[in-house]
Amino acid sequence: MNQLKDIKQMLLAQGYITDDAVAMSLFLSLQLNKPLLVEGPAGVGKTEIAKVMASALQTDLIRLQCYEGLDATHALYEWNYQRQLLHLKMTEHDTQSIDEKEKTIFSESFLMKRPLLQAITHFKKPVLLIDEIDRSDEEFESFLLEVLSDWQITIPETGTIRATHIPQVILTGNRTRALSEALRRRCLYLYIDYPGFEKEWLIVKNKVPGIDAKLGEQLTKFMQELRLQKLEKIPGIAETLDWAMALSALHIDHLDKNIIEQTLGVILKDWRDTRQVQLSLTELMKKTGIISKVDKL
Amino acid sequence: MITRLTSLSKNVVQFCRFLRLKGFAIAVEDEASALQALQLIDYNNNKKFFLALRSILCRSKMQLNEFDDLFHEYWKQLDKIIDAKIKDDAEKKQQPVPPHTQFKSLKAWLHGNKNDDIEETAAYSMQESLSKKDFSAVPDDEMDELMQNIKALSRRLAAKSNRRYEYSNKIDLPDLRKTLRKNLRRGGELLDIVHQKPKRNRVKLLMLCDVSKSMELYTAFLIQFLYAFQQVYHRMETFVFSTSLTRITTLLKQKNYNEVLRTLGAQDSGWGGGTRIGESLDTFVTEYGDRLLGSGTIVIILSDGWDTGNTEQLEKNMEIIHLKSKKVIWLNPLAGYSSYSPDAAGMEAAMPYIDVFAPAYSAESLRRLGKWL
Repeated sequence: MNQLKDIKQMLLAQGYITDDAVAMSLFLSLQLNKPLLVEGPAGVGKTEIAKVMASALQTDLIRLQCYEGLDATHALYEWNYQRQLLHLKMTEHDTQSIDEKEKTIFSESFLMKRPLLQAITHFKKPVLLIDEIDRSDEEFESFLLEVLSDWQITIPETGTIRATHIPQVILTGNRTRALSEALRRRCLYLYIDYPGFEKEWLIVKNKVPGIDAKLGEQLTKFMQELRLQKLEKIPGIAETLDWAMALSALHIDHLDKNIIEQTLGVILKDWRDTRQVQLSLTELMKKTGIISKVDKL
Repeated sequence: MITRLTSLSKNVVQFCRFLRLKGFAIAVEDEASALQALQLIDYNNNKKFFLALRSILCRSKMQLNEFDDLFHEYWKQLDKIIDAKIKDDAEKKQQPVPPHTQFKSLKAWLHGNKNDDIEETAAYSMQESLSKKDFSAVPDDEMDELMQNIKALSRRLAAKSNRRYEYSNKIDLPDLRKTLRKNLRRGGELLDIVHQKPKRNRVKLLMLCDVSKSMELYTAFLIQFLYAFQQVYHRMETFVFSTSLTRITTLLKQKNYNEVLRTLGAQDSGWGGGTRIGESLDTFVTEYGDRLLGSGTIVIILSDGWDTGNTEQLEKNMEIIHLKSKKVIWLNPLAGYSSYSPDAAGMEAAMPYIDVFAPAYSAESLRRLGKWL
């Protein structure tokens, strides 16, 4: 793990195709032990990076999905209130002193660990994925900053818990909100864009091994062209792969207008997009060079 | 080898300073990280050296885009000039003129038209403002930033709280009454706690934008602002007016901005014509007033108040709008000028019914809008 090229190899072994910029960022983030902030449009494999990292490093992935209104209790820990109450009820007639009872119900077995606490108390260095950080509120972001810099969490009832291992942190976002400077300063930054033709074709080949070479190339070209359209929801790599798998399962070896129209639902998830693409399909196919086939038929 | 290494690290530090001049926020810690990173890689490989510095020193997509050019600029110049220290001063001079100076000249010109004694400056400024005409159309990356600001603004708007409470599945305030009622079936043991949170107010926005001749310089910018706002904030209605009133809400909801502009241009609604604010507001009140105005609606009027129409009518309708809405905000592009006083006839008539009177001549002033909402 000490060399840059090892990283690329390691990711490739997990079936993740990447370029030098991504590999360099991951490498430095690992070496300098800094969190990595990954931004980019939806569906370019931001979350996938964390998953692949975890399996490549042979460790566990702990995921914190952010959403509007996410608060510390959901990210850190919660006391299992019901269990505490039932425990007290059951031991009502015991002769334990109040102090003793208190000690029991505020012990670890009544504590529900949420992702952040889980990550810092994990038995080995995990990969902590904080997904879509830009969806959380600003308060949560500043709270997160505190945890990311101190690596300790204070629970008033029991005391401070220090990290046994500092997790490898990957944060993702797709720029729905500007993240604070303070958070950016603590992270390395990586922007992943939609892949170019070469890279996407490589990914398709890798993930759908049985695919017909001609079909694969055509469909990748079509997807590249499709992303240049003004769409509500631009299809990502996942959609390309779904489509490739679907067409490959149908034993199709080339694209034509009918097939595209019938399977458009695999790549476009918005009816306005579907309508728009249907209207400009001929033009799109001309651009990708599929049309000559149709002309002959 | 050692001397070479120190000079490389010196250069990296120098490069960090250069980036700081270009607006990158680079802490000492980052410089340390950069140097640390160089130990880990083969820094004789140009590409790796570049990538390593880039992944450490950049903090946003905008910086990523700039970094490539700056990197090449710096190391190329370094090859040419042996004494790197001379560079610092030269770089400082290259800094671009801050955008607000452009607005200043525009303001001077607008004001200058009324003042004969500063004719010379006025003429000069006029040329300037014409040559910088593209200031009114926000450049793409600034548009991105403006969008971010509006998004933050609309989030805050959507989150304004009410004094009532509603059910919440978050760990919030406990709702004692509901908790007791729910747990009665378990013999009164408080197993489930029901939570409540402050109810949210959903503020509705109503934009009335003046697109007459006197506003021409600002129109392109304001339309862009309205478009951006409409894209992120859904509880908003937009109208434009000059001699008559047009509702453009659905038009602005379209994805493609250029198409919006084309359709707007094609609609002949007296763009760049005279202003009849009174009549326009009258149409608004009679046709849409009952439906769109309410105690949860904030009305924002974007106009300079130069009115060729009926002032009494303006006053009457402003009063109705004021009574029926939560707040009336009047954004005036001219109000940014220090010696401005609202003495245009229309402006004077409307003044008593305005809750907030604020300037609107740049992205910055629109950003400040958040304070009033």
